[in-house]
Amino acid sequence: MNVLVWLAGILFLLMTLVGGKKGARSFIAIFLNFAVLFLTIFIMLDPNADPIILTIIASTAISCITLFYINGVNITTKTAFLSTVITIVTLLFFIVIITETAMIQGFSEEEIGELYIFSFYIGVDFVKIGAAMIIMSTIGAITDIAISIASPMREILIHNPSISRKELFESGINIGRDILGTNTNTLFFAFFGGYLALLIWFKDLAYSFGEIVNSKVFSEEMITILCAGIGIAMIIPLTSSITAYFLVRTREKEEMSK
Amino acid sequence: MNDKQNQPMGSLTNTEFIREIGGSFLKAIFRKFKNMTYIQILSSLLLAICFAGSVFFVHNNYSFYERPIVEVIETNLEDTTEIMDGNNNEDSLYTQRIIAELKNGEEKGEIVHLMNEYSLSGAYDQEYQVGNELFISIDTNIGENRELTGTITDVKRDKYVLIVAWIFIFTLLIVGKKQGLFSIISLIVNVVLISYALDIYLHTSNISLLWICGISVILFTVISLLLVNGFNEKTYAAIVATLLGTFFSLLITYLVMVITSEQGLRYEEMGFLTRPPQVVFMAGLLIGSLGAVMDVAITMSSSIFSLYEKNNDIPAKALKTSGMEIGKDIMGTMTNILFFAYVSGSIPTLILYLKNGSPLSYTFSLNLSLELARALAGGIGIVLAIPIGLYTALFFVNRKRARS
Repeated sequence: MNVLVWLAGILFLLMTLVGGKKGARSFIAIFLNFAVLFLTIFIMLDPNADPIILTIIASTAISCITLFYINGVNITTKTAFLSTVITIVTLLFFIVIITETAMIQGFSEEEIGELYIFSFYIGVDFVKIGAAMIIMSTIGAITDIAISIASPMREILIHNPSISRKELFESGINIGRDILGTNTNTLFFAFFGGYLALLIWFKDLAYSFGEIVNSKVFSEEMITILCAGIGIAMIIPLTSSITAYFLVRTREKEEMSK
Repeated sequence: MNDKQNQPMGSLTNTEFIREIGGSFLKAIFRKFKNMTYIQILSSLLLAICFAGSVFFVHNNYSFYERPIVEVIETNLEDTTEIMDGNNNEDSLYTQRIIAELKNGEEKGEIVHLMNEYSLSGAYDQEYQVGNELFISIDTNIGENRELTGTITDVKRDKYVLIVAWIFIFTLLIVGKKQGLFSIISLIVNVVLISYALDIYLHTSNISLLWICGISVILFTVISLLLVNGFNEKTYAAIVATLLGTFFSLLITYLVMVITSEQGLRYEEMGFLTRPPQVVFMAGLLIGSLGAVMDVAITMSSSIFSLYEKNNDIPAKALKTSGMEIGKDIMGTMTNILFFAYVSGSIPTLILYLKNGSPLSYTFSLNLSLELARALAGGIGIVLAIPIGLYTALFFVNRKRARS
């Protein structure tokens, strides 16, 4: 039997044991997200399809699955969804500009060795694909922060029905600050784990500091990590304000109808 | 001049309006300054100096590099060819003639002529524009007009990385304040630690990478959690839970790898290998899942402790049920974080393979097997950390109860 099948089986078993029905749904959601990712890659093969628009559509679909399918459709998942999409679109444009000016798209000298049999003139825009790659690696963390801020904010409103919008916004920011450190850690370590081979490579081949900092592969990894951190920090005030706005507005509507 | 566009708002005229806005803005800044302590003013000043100094430095550090650096001052498109490769992929190839000025070395200030060939898709090449700074190697045999010629080797990217790093630091500080500062510090400490650990590994051949990473993992956990949460029982419970969770997920993955004799893992596509792939893979897996497991462990322990602090008489059973509910809530999104962080990195490679006519199952099994294994193992760690985190937090709560 295959390692991956075993690991997936164990993960499914653990998720249903610990999480019950919701655990099973979370497991299925991972597969659905995969399906979206693969579909996106297939459509990206067509040179006429714009990878940026594709990425925006794919991110919307992925956040729909993660938020609505696992957590159900309600006001907090809706505001979390809205802020996720806004953050991703803004961040995406920032990343495209960075990818283009820093010229970190495509493959580096170090990666080219094992790919030499391939033609590199394949007609798709690698700047946009590189930006898509960076945003896709952050999307899980961005949706996580959005929902982790939005749902406790609703709890706060339920426990303090007379709270003002500003106070609600500030409590959202405070929740965000508390999870900021651990969430950036999650991504940093995930990336470090993936880049471990690269770090050993740099050290084994005695790259100088100047060579490391300016190399395409290091700049690309570093910019990915930093953009992920920027995205995580950016979504905190955004989710807090959007959620505070909508929660207070629905409360006012309810009061009006009474 | 622009008065027509900026018509006065309400009863205020344009200038009054601006003065009003400007005045309140200045007042707000002044109030902010008054509320700031000397330490805050001093540290913001220090930060501003660091920012300005480092930006100035990377724009003027040519003499610190041994490799020749040039700045592009003129580009001319020489030639355009439409090409089609064996798999009917259409692309355009361009040839660019570049005139650039040397920024360092003995020939500083002299003009160099360069040639650059690039494609529209830019998978391994790029178009250069006026103002770009490039590393080159200067050709030794000088051309007929005694012109300097050279070959482009790389792009000077340090200034871009620095700018993004500063945007990152400022966003984290503005949004996160103290917590933002702590996460920046913990990132720096962890980077230094991992670099130091790798140095030890590379200079002593008889210590296994797994052992080094194991010890580093303990240090990472203790340092990161203490930095983020401070010295208290909540943190101690999270540290114990993180270490247990990571250990068990590694153990399960290792057992699965032994049972299946690593069938389905394609190490040959693992990039940047100078060491045995199995060990590098396992060590990467250990470090990669650590952050996520830490996140789950601290979420579990802080929510259990806050429930206990709100109501000291809360029965253990109630703590257990609410703890499990919290665990169920975070499980899905946490596993998603790891999946996307790992799998997305392969997007460009997958596109390159598929565009070159590689079969689907071959492409995916070759390029995704290690990433998927890493994500699945991390997912197992996350899910295990939920009950482990719950019970260690309960243990610490009970101990606290017994003492008081």
